[in-house]
Amino acid sequence: MAAKNHRQWTAEPNLQMNEWVDSRIYSDPQIFEEELQKIFKKTWIPVCHESELPKPYDFRTTSIAREPIVVCRGPDNEVRAFLNVCPHRGMIIERRPSGSFLEGQPSGNPKRMTCMFHAWQYDMKGNCVYISREKEGFQDRLCKEDVGLRRLRCEVKFGGFVWVNLDDNPKVSLEDWAAPAFQCLRKSLDAEPLEVFHYHKAVVNANYKLWHDTNCEFYHDFMHYHNRVTGFNDAYFARKNEAFDHGHVVVGTFQVNYEKYEGFESRAALSFPHLPPNQWYMIDLFPGMNFNLRGSALRCDIVTPLGPDKVMIEYRGLGLKRDTPEERMTRINHHNSIWGPFGRNLHEDLIGVQGQGTTMLPGSEPRRILHGRHENQTIHDENGMRHYYEEWGRWMNRRPSKPDQPFSEAIAVAAE
Amino acid sequence: MEVRPVQPPAGFIVNETNARQCPGVLETSWGNAVDAANLVRDAIYRSTIALDQQDWNGWLEQCDDEFQYAIKSWSPEINKDMTYLALDRKGLENMIKLLPKHNTDHSPLTRHTSVYTVEMNGDAIAHAVSSVIIYQTLLDGINSHIDAGESRLFLVGKYIDKLKIKDNKAKFISREVRLENRRLDKGSHWPI
Ligand code: FES
Ligand SMILES: [Fe+2]
Repeated sequence: MAAKNHRQWTAEPNLQMNEWVDSRIYSDPQIFEEELQKIFKKTWIPVCHESELPKPYDFRTTSIAREPIVVCRGPDNEVRAFLNVCPHRGMIIERRPSGSFLEGQPSGNPKRMTCMFHAWQYDMKGNCVYISREKEGFQDRLCKEDVGLRRLRCEVKFGGFVWVNLDDNPKVSLEDWAAPAFQCLRKSLDAEPLEVFHYHKAVVNANYKLWHDTNCEFYHDFMHYHNRVTGFNDAYFARKNEAFDHGHVVVGTFQVNYEKYEGFESRAALSFPHLPPNQWYMIDLFPGMNFNLRGSALRCDIVTPLGPDKVMIEYRGLGLKRDTPEERMTRINHHNSIWGPFGRNLHEDLIGVQGQGTTMLPGSEPRRILHGRHENQTIHDENGMRHYYEEWGRWMNRRPSKPDQPFSEAIAVAAE
Repeated sequence: MEVRPVQPPAGFIVNETNARQCPGVLETSWGNAVDAANLVRDAIYRSTIALDQQDWNGWLEQCDDEFQYAIKSWSPEINKDMTYLALDRKGLENMIKLLPKHNTDHSPLTRHTSVYTVEMNGDAIAHAVSSVIIYQTLLDGINSHIDAGESRLFLVGKYIDKLKIKDNKAKFISREVRLENRRLDKGSHWPI
């Protein structure tokens, strides 16, 4: 059919109900608020990597669904997470992105988290250990034992990432939730300590799911010259997208021909442990995390949704902790060549989701966003996104293609 | 792309003292009277013009065959000094050659460069530190109907340059772009 009139344009596509979504799931403010409550406050989020707080008393701050979080390493070497909120009058306790509580602060002592406002102090287990002029003001009505920090579920797992869940009683343990998806890389990621060498962030005017979609679908290889020349061959098109419980997807590996892009080199010499040369695995975790291993460098994307049409994405690059300076530099160069902020692919991906965000502003006319390709669950099949939106529908009790209607298991599976 | 000399404003009389403000206008007036530090400043400003004009090859002509380029930043998030891009001259040439193969945000960048210090190491080697602030004038990056024409602050940092002086010309041996930014949004395909 040629160009369409309004009725034709807004008609339902000739595809199964789970092969498209309504664009309001990317733009509706109410759906967005619900996602924060129903998904982000209930699921496991990797907030940083343990190498970002290597020594006792090191800390790192972050947030999930607008709740500020501080992660610190205790003198017992245990990594713990707390709401970064003072129980007194709600001041954010630690304002820096990272640092060490070994140093005293203007209002407080060494080895304490100190709220600068009225100098209440907390130890690395979140106990309140000092209230300024406690007896004078509170007499015996309120004491330190009554005002500890809010401790959060926190585990170091899957290559040393620090996972936090705002829900005290998660539906599934972290292990059960993600271990099957990590299975393909677990041996490589857990063979020895990893270390973060790269960090940058992007704030993009697009819904967080559009970024995750881009990480889940490889059909957009056509946007990346690099992927076309280093990838497209029979082995590439045989790569499988494998769906796992809880909305996760793993893209299977093949051997990348990096030399086909002028100026780029094979990554064989620095493969991660237990991997053959130049492999490329990708693990996409619901609701918006991505672990991407291209031979010598691991990339991790973490989304922090800021609004229906705004997301912050944090990008990390990791190598082996024991790298020599030369090895590390080579890994960094490999990482940067396509994934760095001045690399070839990341810029293209970000222009892509920004362009989608531009056509899906809150209040814009709802339309259909298609993901109906079937290619035997290989690389350009869009089963990864279909699997994701099935899980999204369950958590939200909304049908992704008709978000005003409740989720229905029957429709979700009909077309797979 | 051809580099066009910057024209002086009407009524502006170019002489040896102010020639630097209009690079390209008064090639011959420099002569030997200009000292090495001025050659270095001139090279940094000319490289800024070439980069702003997206005259990548013109920029590379000002660089030595051994030229090393890097974009770096310190991250207080991970407590590491980071390299965001590192290429030698050959690597830059490859990158520039392949630019047309890539989808790119074409919003032009305008660099405001101020040379802070030039230190000579003998007669032939100079170390220079410049402040650079890079604005992006939106073109096709977001929604051109709304945003095209708007200038935004894109990057803040320093150029840390090493140049060699030969035959009354200063050529870049290395440039480190040291950014303050770690929030880089869409980033860029271009040399900064
Ligand atoms: S708000 Fe933290 S001590 Fe008062
Ligand atoms: Fe991509």
